[in-house]
This record gives sequence, C-alpha cells and structure tokens, in this order.
Amino acid sequence: MSPNVRNRLRDLIPVLLFAVALWFLPDLLRSWSGRASVSYLSLVTNGLGLAVLALSWDILARTGQLSLAHAAFYGAGAYVTAILARLEVGPLWLGIPAAGAFAVLLALGLGVVTLRLKGIYFAIATLAFTEVLRSAVRQLPTSFAGGSAGMNVAPLFRPAFDPETMERWEIAFLRNEGYFLLYAGLLLLTIGLSLWTRRSRLRPAFTAVRTNEEVAGVMGVHPARMKLLAFALSSLSVGMLGAIHAHRVGSVIPEGAFAVSTTVFALVTPIFGGLYTTLGPILGAGVLAGIEETLKRNLADGYLIGYGLVLVLSILFMPRGIVGMVRGIARRRRAARAGVTSEGGEA
Amino acid sequence: MTADANAVLEIRSLAKRFGGLAAVDDLSFHVRPGEIFAIIGPNGAGKTTTLNLLSGLLIPTAGRIHLSGREIQHLPSFERTHLGLGRAFQVVQPFPEMTVRENVQVGALFGTPGIDRAEGDRRTDAALERTGLTRIAGQSAEELTLLQEKRLEIARALATDPTVLMLDEVMAGLRPGEARQAVELVRDVRESGVTIVFIEHVMPVVRDLADRVLVMDHGRFLAEGSYAEVTADPAVIEAYLGRDDDGTGDEDPDRDDREDPR
Amino acid sequence: MDPILILQAVVSGVLASGLYALVSVGLALAIGVIGIVNFAHGEFFMIGAFLTYQLFVSFGVDPVLSLLFVAPALFLLGAVLYRTTIQYVLEAPELNQMLLTFGIGIVLQNLALLIWGGDPVSISGIAYRSVGFRIGGISVGLVSLVSFAISIVLVGSLYLALSRSRTGRAMRAVAQNRIGASLVGLEVNRVYLVAFALSALLAGIGGVMIAVIQSPTPTIGLAFTLKAFSIVVLAGLGNIRGILAASLVVALAESLVATLVPNGGTLSNAVFFAIIFLALVWRSRRTA
Repeated sequence: MSPNVRNRLRDLIPVLLFAVALWFLPDLLRSWSGRASVSYLSLVTNGLGLAVLALSWDILARTGQLSLAHAAFYGAGAYVTAILARLEVGPLWLGIPAAGAFAVLLALGLGVVTLRLKGIYFAIATLAFTEVLRSAVRQLPTSFAGGSAGMNVAPLFRPAFDPETMERWEIAFLRNEGYFLLYAGLLLLTIGLSLWTRRSRLRPAFTAVRTNEEVAGVMGVHPARMKLLAFALSSLSVGMLGAIHAHRVGSVIPEGAFAVSTTVFALVTPIFGGLYTTLGPILGAGVLAGIEETLKRNLADGYLIGYGLVLVLSILFMPRGIVGMVRGIARRRRAARAGVTSEGGEA
Repeated sequence: MTADANAVLEIRSLAKRFGGLAAVDDLSFHVRPGEIFAIIGPNGAGKTTTLNLLSGLLIPTAGRIHLSGREIQHLPSFERTHLGLGRAFQVVQPFPEMTVRENVQVGALFGTPGIDRAEGDRRTDAALERTGLTRIAGQSAEELTLLQEKRLEIARALATDPTVLMLDEVMAGLRPGEARQAVELVRDVRESGVTIVFIEHVMPVVRDLADRVLVMDHGRFLAEGSYAEVTADPAVIEAYLGRDDDGTGDEDPDRDDREDPR
Repeated sequence: MDPILILQAVVSGVLASGLYALVSVGLALAIGVIGIVNFAHGEFFMIGAFLTYQLFVSFGVDPVLSLLFVAPALFLLGAVLYRTTIQYVLEAPELNQMLLTFGIGIVLQNLALLIWGGDPVSISGIAYRSVGFRIGGISVGLVSLVSFAISIVLVGSLYLALSRSRTGRAMRAVAQNRIGASLVGLEVNRVYLVAFALSALLAGIGGVMIAVIQSPTPTIGLAFTLKAFSIVVLAGLGNIRGILAASLVVALAESLVATLVPNGGTLSNAVFFAIIFLALVWRSRRTA
C-alpha cells in the first residue's frame, strides 16, 4: 500500500467512525435518557457548533492570519438567511448555502484589503471591520433587517405532532435532532476542508506562508493566493454555521450575531486544543463546551471569564495546546528510548 | 535596451534608496551562464540589499534586472522563482513543524508551476540526494546542526529548479571541515548546470570558488574581475583597509545595517 | 448648520481629546518600552472607573480623592500582572503575547461583569458634576475642563520624565536597544515592570475621570483599547506629540459626527472604527 493511500485511510477511518457515531447518537440518547435527551442533544449540538467555529478559525490561522473577524462572517451568515427567509425568496434551507457564499465573498473582500497587514495590525483591522459591520447592520432599514432590535427567523424544522405515536417532548427532540444533524454535517464538511489543507500541498504552502511570507515567496509559493484561499475556506463554514444557528435560535440581533464572544470562542478553543491541527480544535471544543455549560449555569453574566482564564493559562503553560503537549511527550519518549542526542552526524 | 545575450543575469544601473540614503547606487554587472560569481565588499557595502533586490524582497528605486533576457525587476518573488531564480538565505529559515523532506518539498512543489505530487517527490528526492540530506530527511527541521541547516537551505532552493542560484554567506559559522564540504557542494551544483551568485566574507572560499568577483563599496560598483585582479586593485585594498581602521573587526558577521528596513 | 453647534462640538472634542491622549500614552509606553501590545489596556481604564464608582458608593469617597487610591491600586495591578504573566511571554512569538493580553482583558472584563453586572453605573449626587460655564453660546462642563487639564498635565509630566529623569532615560534606552541596555547594567526587567505598571496607572486615572463624566459599563474597556491603539498607530510609535495630535483628530471626528450627523451618537463608534480600518489599510499600502 503506497504511503499516500495509507495516509488517506488513516484520516478517513476516524472520520467515518465519527460520522457513524454522530448519525446514531440522537437515537442512542433517546433510548438512554428519554425526555432528558432533548437537552443533552442540544448540548452536544452546541459542542459541534463550537468545533466548527474553532476548526474554521484554525484553517485561517494556518496562514498566519489571526483574525478577530470571525464573528463578522458568523453574523453575516445569520443575517443573510434571516433576510432571505423574511423576503421568502425560496425554500428556507436555501439561506444556508447563500449565507456561506456571501460569507466567502465578504471574506475575500476583507482578505484582499488586509493582505499587507501583519500581526497585531491585522488583528485590529479585522476587529474594526467586525464593529463597522455590526453598526452597519444596525443601521439597515428595520423592515429589511430589523434594526437594533433584530428580527425573527423562521425555524427549519416543524415536526408534526401525532398523539398516537409520540409523546409531547418528542417534538422538541425531533427539532433538536434536525439541527444536530445539520451541525454534524457542517462539522464533517469543515473536517474535510481541514484535512484537505493538511494533507495536500496546501499544508507546506500554508505553513511556509505562516512562518515567513517572504521566504515562502522565494520558494515559489504565491502568498496572496494562499491567504485568500484560507480566508474563503474559513468563512464558508462559519457563515453557514451562523445561518443554521439563526434558524435554531429563531432570531437575529446585531449584538448577538456579531458578538465578540463568538470570536473569543473561535480562537481560545484551538489554542487550548492545539493549533494548526484538525484534532486540536475538535478536542478543545469537546472539553470547553462541557465546561461552558457549568460556567453558564453558575456565572451568568461573566461566564466568559472561564474562557479568558483558559486562554491565559494555555498561553503560559501549554502554548501548543493539548495536542501539541501530547505530541511533545510522545516525541521525547521516543527520543529517550532510542537514546539519541540531537547532534546527529553528517548526513 | 536589449540584454546581453551571453548573460543569464544582467543588472543595469540598479539603485535602492531608503529616504535619503542610497543603499545601492547605479550598480551594473552581468553574470555568465554556468559561472560562479562572487560579490564581496566591506560591511555595509550593500551586498545583501542587492540580493534582496534580485530576489524580489525589495523593489528597486531605479534600474533593471534581466534574467535570461527577461526583465524581472517588477515581478513578485514567486514569479522570479518560477522563472529560475533561486535563493538560499543567510540566516537560515527552515520551516519548523515540518521535516527536512517537507521543507524541501515546498521548493519542489512550488518552485515551478504545474508540478504534480509525483514529480514533486522526484525533485525533492533529487535535491536531498545532491545535498547529502537523504539520511536525515525524516528528521524535524528544528533539530539540525548548522551545517545541516545550510544544506537544507540549499536543498530547498535547488528543489525550485533554478537556473541561477543565489547564496548569501553560506560559510558563516562553519568549521573548516564543514566549509570544505560546503565548497564541494557548491562546485557540485555548478557542475549540474546551475549558475551561482554568492556573497561571501571568507576570502579563501572566494579565491577557491569564484570565476569572477564583483567588489562593492557604499552601495556602488568598485571593481570586477578575477580574484587575483580585484585583490590587487588599490581601490579595493583601500576600501577594506579603510574600514578596518574604524575597528569594525572583519570577523564580524555581516552587519549591513542599511539593508533591511524592517 | 449652526456655527455655534459646530463650535460646541469642537470644544467638546478638544476637551475629550485629553482623556484619549492620557489613555493612549499609557499604551504607547507599554508598546514602545516593552514591545508588547497590551490588548487589556482598556480594562485598566475600566477598572479605574469602577473602583471610583465603588469607593463612592460604599464609602462616599469623592472621585477627586479616590485618585489617591486608584492610582497606586492600578500601579500595583499592573505590576502584579507583569510579574505573574507578561514577563514570561516577552521572548515568545507575537501571537502568544497578543493572545495572552487578550485573555487577560477577557478575564478582567468578565470579572467586572460578575461584580457589577452589565448595566451602566453612574456617580450621582456630586455637586460639581453639573457645574459649567457659558462662553458665548458654548457650554463647558467643569468636570470636562478639569479632566482635560489633568490629562494634559500628566502627559506633559510623562514627556518630561521620559526625557529628564533617570528612570525615564532608562526606559528610552531599553526601548531602543534591549540587549545594549542590559549590557550597560540596566536592570531591564525592572524597567519593564515600571513601564507596564505606569501604563496601567495612567489608564486608571483616565478611568476615574470617565466615571464622573459618563456612565460606564464594564464593556467599555475593549473600545478604549481599540481607540488607544489606533491613536498610537496614527501617531507613530514613540511620539508623544503625535499622540496629542492624533487624539485631537479622533476626538474631534467623534464629536463632530455625533453632533452633526443625524443619529450620530450610535454612528460615531462605527465611524471611528471605519477610520481605524481605513488608516491601517492605507498605511499598509504605503509601505510597499
């Protein structure tokens, strides 16, 4: 078996297993916990959403672009589907791919304009961009986009209630299951995109651009193209996430759709889990989503403090995230076992 | 103005100004195919700036650069690489988090447009072999000795399939045995048909390797010819001696402070 | 277009610029001396405001007096933060520094949210709050005037301290050449500590003033960080006079938009961010 095929399988098998597990999860939950499964399912869905948020942010970060505009694409996606729904342009679900497409266009626009900005300047510019977008949306005519009070969004799933075969809570369950499957599908798509950038020639290209854009250029890599591609891939997922979320929650409001907290989640999670990997953001999302519930229940207004602490502690003690730490330990163990020093003779 | 048909690299009246300061001023020279061409000069002479101008990291204020007859001074770095201009950097910058092989792969896959996976692998293997890195190809690029890093720099640049390879002070920091190996490598590369342009401070290396030598001072052309010729040139001697009087020891690593505006 | 109205807007803008300059100078100190972009800078400002509020509400301390407490308190906070976290990322990549200060900012902001909730707080019942003068058709609040004066004095003192005092010169030396400075025997880490603590103190004093002038919420920190940062960027690093000028420009723009444009109050923030965005993009185009 050639190494390439082996690598592909090594990636695909866990993903397939994951997909299968996701497919059966709702029914498993229902049989295990009955009525409680409604809220469990919702929790898991939140976790999936966080994973998409984190993974999509990470894809962009792989080119060295640390964006604070993630919330902008999320919010834009939410509003696109909300507006399309209100205008009744087509079937409701159309808003989701439309949201993705619009987010990509928006991201390309932002990406082109910020190509020469680096580090902190890039971050600040993207943050400013988000704020401007939020204000702009707030200024839109109320009949069109709801102004500062926002507007309602039609739900995607209206399960029919049949008193013969179902209990009351099963309506909520079916609804949650619908959104769960959408989130799961989106996560799988994002995983696919992430693996693509990790396994194809994009990986050396992205890493090169991230490490040193100039040297990358001298190696023949087209830095602008790579950066814009990353922007597009990243925003596609998060735009659609925003759209699906809008339907799930049932409303959009400028403060919520473009909240800074969205960006905070998006960047803390991969740092905690392990940057520039596919597993890291997902792992981080799993852990943090679990913690978040507890935090939210106990701390209401300032629960984000948990995220702040995780971020600070991660940077100080675990800058490579969980995945990086595990890999580092594994590597050290291997080296110790082989008894190698790093002097390595001449090749 | 047509380019010299014999020159693979031709520079005409190249200039680069930063504010009021001219780091490079009215520099003209040409490099013939297959030769090893050295650029030397005292600290601050503008050598690295010249290399930066050639590889596209800086845009010239004036002047022209022709590669194989084609004007390139307005092209971005990656296009120049696609046209055959390769470069190994002075301060080695391997891409961390990647193995030696993966580092070279960047050059192989992107150095020329339209390279598929198989061809990229072929070029990568070839470059690794040429620079003697095949054995440590799987090692992380973060755990290399200095000589290995320099080999990696060259391998990466070679993988881009250059017509002209530019080297910036490859010998700096190498022990005599290592330096000899590096010299062998450079000769080897030239044998395979690549033109070499290199900046160097270590004079014995220049004497051994260079077919022709360009001497720069204060960003300007000072002298050109064989090693013997330029080292006998009184103007060149004065330029070097004059600098030594300032007490800037010539053992220092190149500190061209006017070069990099960053 | 009532000229009096415009003039009023200009005067208000000028008075507000003092505060902006004060906060920005603090940030410039952190960036210029230590080399770290402190995303949490605005939170020092916010904490200063809320400490003032709390002192007033719990102990009836007049805001003017609370300066005596808030200033050292924030200096201490800055010093502690530096010692416990910042000093460990000085050699780390810029990404890590950025994220660390961002995280600290989140922690501070949410801590404040936990303690004081999300609603605006105001210090009411202070006599001098409503005192003002009328010159021509222009009204000038006493508090605004005094804040402006204090800010200018502080910025000026900092300027003098940096150029004359030993610590100030040490800071400038360190800012220019960290290795060289330590070779000469300057204890670089201590200089950094003082610089960071000082930047927190300056922001905190600004916070005291904003508590009296407006009704702050715990979320004002981030906005002020962004404003301070843009002013510093517009001014060019290490340039105190530039900061004064940039603060003036920004404050005037905000004031004029708020007054002259219909619905300007809510827009002025957006206009401000648009200016930052455009300024950054334009700057990046120029350095090609």
